[in-house]
Amino acid sequence: MSRSRAWWWLSLVALVGLVLSACAPAATPTPQVIEKERVVEKVVTPTPVPRKVLRLNLGPGDVPTLDPSLATDTSSIQIIELAFVGLTRQNEETAAVEPGMAERWEVSPDGKVWTFYLRKGIPWVRWNGQEVEQVKDEKGNVRYVTAHDFYYGAIRTLDPKTGGEYAYVPAFFIEGAKEFNEGTITDPTKVGIKVLDDYTIQFTLKEPVGFFANIAGLWMLRAEPQWLIEEKGDRWTETGAYHSYGPYVMKEWVHDSHIVMVANPFWPDNIPSVPKPKIEEIVFRMLDESPAFAEYEAGNLDVAGVPLSEIDRVKADPQLSKELTIAPVLCTYYYGFNVTKPPFDDARMRLAFSLAVDRKAIVENVTKGGQEPAQWFSRPGLQAAPTLQTHPNLGVKYDPERAKQLFQEVLKEKYGGDVKNLPPITLMVNQVEGHIKIAEAIQQMWKEVLGVDVKLETQEWKVYLKTLQTDPPQIWRLGWCQDYPHASNFLKDVFYSTSDNNHTKWGNPEFDALVDQALKETDEAKARELYAKAEEILVAKDAAIIPIYWYTRVTVTKPYVKRTFSVLGGLEHIEKWDIQK
Amino acid sequence: MIRYIVRRMLWNLLVLWVITVITFGLMHAVPGGPFDREKPLPPEIKANIEAKYHLDKPVVVQYLYYMRDLLVPRYSPTLPTSLQEDALIRWKIGPGYFLWINLGPSYSSRSRSVNDIIRQNLPVSFELGVYALLVAVGIGIPLGILAALNQNTFLDYFGMSLAIFGVSVPVIVLGPILVSIFGVWLKWLPPTGWGTPQHAIMPSIALGLASSALIARLTRASLLQVIREDYIRTARAKGLAERLVIIRHALRNSLIPVVTVLGPLFAALVTGTFVTETIFGIPGLGRYFVTSITNRDHPVIMGTILIYAIFLVIANLVVDITYAFLDPRIRYT
Repeated sequence: MSRSRAWWWLSLVALVGLVLSACAPAATPTPQVIEKERVVEKVVTPTPVPRKVLRLNLGPGDVPTLDPSLATDTSSIQIIELAFVGLTRQNEETAAVEPGMAERWEVSPDGKVWTFYLRKGIPWVRWNGQEVEQVKDEKGNVRYVTAHDFYYGAIRTLDPKTGGEYAYVPAFFIEGAKEFNEGTITDPTKVGIKVLDDYTIQFTLKEPVGFFANIAGLWMLRAEPQWLIEEKGDRWTETGAYHSYGPYVMKEWVHDSHIVMVANPFWPDNIPSVPKPKIEEIVFRMLDESPAFAEYEAGNLDVAGVPLSEIDRVKADPQLSKELTIAPVLCTYYYGFNVTKPPFDDARMRLAFSLAVDRKAIVENVTKGGQEPAQWFSRPGLQAAPTLQTHPNLGVKYDPERAKQLFQEVLKEKYGGDVKNLPPITLMVNQVEGHIKIAEAIQQMWKEVLGVDVKLETQEWKVYLKTLQTDPPQIWRLGWCQDYPHASNFLKDVFYSTSDNNHTKWGNPEFDALVDQALKETDEAKARELYAKAEEILVAKDAAIIPIYWYTRVTVTKPYVKRTFSVLGGLEHIEKWDIQK
Repeated sequence: MIRYIVRRMLWNLLVLWVITVITFGLMHAVPGGPFDREKPLPPEIKANIEAKYHLDKPVVVQYLYYMRDLLVPRYSPTLPTSLQEDALIRWKIGPGYFLWINLGPSYSSRSRSVNDIIRQNLPVSFELGVYALLVAVGIGIPLGILAALNQNTFLDYFGMSLAIFGVSVPVIVLGPILVSIFGVWLKWLPPTGWGTPQHAIMPSIALGLASSALIARLTRASLLQVIREDYIRTARAKGLAERLVIIRHALRNSLIPVVTVLGPLFAALVTGTFVTETIFGIPGLGRYFVTSITNRDHPVIMGTILIYAIFLVIANLVVDITYAFLDPRIRYT
């Protein structure tokens, strides 16, 4: 026995040794002394390249696509935003519309015809394996971005064969675009997009839209390289193929791992809204929030989101707390009612449930990410949306007394004054831990303030979406984020009586009229007043929804990164950033 | 033996076919489709996309399309540029390309086909799985033997406590602990990523440790049973050295149950694990197993399940063949 025991001990020790030796620190480049004829000639060290490299995280999972016509999610649009510049470009801090590839634009007196005048001399570029080079045509001439490229991009987005999800945006606004997208007309020249000359493109709209300059800058209406897409088909977005023209060029896309972009040396330096980039290279990792935060702490990422579980520690840490920023994001978290199901067929009952929600307690004790308690639906920061400065008392706030009073009023009138006579009430959320925590907190508030028991149900996401579209429960949860940062995208696109996004089954002609009128209003202050009136109907008078909080983003940034904080749903304009070590 | 293997292969093909039918049926029976969005798509947009991917056809027709793409080889003068016409096997033969096994496009990664995903991500998962299996076997078997040979001593209790620790500390706990200690605090290893040997160490250990505990317990239990067999007493009685008795007689027989679990374990480890990949940022296949289902990404669901099933049937076949070498009494005819 003793021999065999010794043998096994030895093998175990060897194994442990093996594992430990493998854990040795990664080889660091050590200065190497080259001896030549007994004279030490030089010390070779890896040449320190004074390059500015920024390392960021895009979130877990592969970037779904880099094709402007197909993109639907923030990660894809982030890369596209850097590689392709729209006709207009939104200022990421103020959400104002600024010139992009169009130097200027004009609109006809009736508000329907928009003409964009493009900059000249911006070449298409690609990464050729060594460097960024200009794209040349068959004759060897440099290809410059023209109105034809924008026309091709828009038509390709609308083409039913492309199957682009966001084709609905141009289809909604531009004349003939919906018919072309549906396939009822097949001739693209019937669509209200015209190339007037190489550097002028004109859009004709179905109806006057005050903020079409916003729409024209969206990612699904960018210039696209027709020659490349016709040659490479679906594969034109891969490493080595991708042609673009914006401030950054895609150098490498390792699926599920990372994307590397390099500064475009051919991007001009005379466009204030899209300056020449200072950071030479950007590495976008695709990590989950917690591993990304670990990489940030290990010094391998320069910017990272803070996971919920780490927020308290970051706030308490003397160094990390200085690197912490809580920035607004143009999204709203809300509960909706199904107004056809009792007891919520009564607006007073709905308002009572809304007033009983202590939003401040939720953001401070449950979500903890510095979110702002929401008084209404259209997130402040959107164009023409009411703000807490302009409308401090608009909408709904926590008011337990008034909630009780309204609740008792309806209870006496309709249910004999007894809570037991109320029909069973169900609150449904999708099966995500964070949503369930919030729902449990609100369940408790309703119990405490109104004395009513609400049943909480959960469903898997896609099943939940189906439920909302077919038979929404009495109370349900959703969030809404901007497609374009204008109040209309929140109020008209969601709660218009005919909107597909409106799961409340509520509709009010007065509300519809207000948002229609606001859409045509070109004076932002006047539009804001109209939207404020509409909000008052939506969240207070008719109380079709319970706004809960306005989103924020909790990030840490290394002190040497000089950056801007985008309000455009996390879409960063990195050409304005710098690294100063 | 050969006849046995051929017969088993044919059965396995049948099993795989049944799996395609069941998976296809189930994923279409679940509520919600790949293009159901929080912001519902206008009907005409959805119709365009569904037409593009044949989703407007009846399920049976969709299945036939799928099986045609999967099984029927094609010969094309050029490599296809459409993701829908891509193929897993693309051999240059003569002037054109021999294309076979098209697993279809992905609905959520719209610039990638399932063939791309498997071509690029399966090797990563496979590599990690092999390392994890080495960790599992390398720690599990010696630990199990050590515990069995020293039953009811300190070594036994220590080894088995270690095993219970391994089973009860899942990757989701062990992974971040390893990252915090070796990646963030000591900075010995890169916290996330893939590509160099340093990158592989932490995930292999995190992934392999739980399985090593399982193997250790199995080995111990099985060895304890075998050691009490008559033929072991015979071997000892004829004066064989204890080491030879254990290695040549006891160990070989006691490994049969261990090898049995190694089959499915191998299949599970090499086709990727979601949690390990997420914690260590590894571009493997595991993430697609989970996200494809929540996204209702039908071709990815089919592709990943088929790959997993193929690994499983092959691993089981190899296990069955291994039995013959481990136990002289087992013969396949």
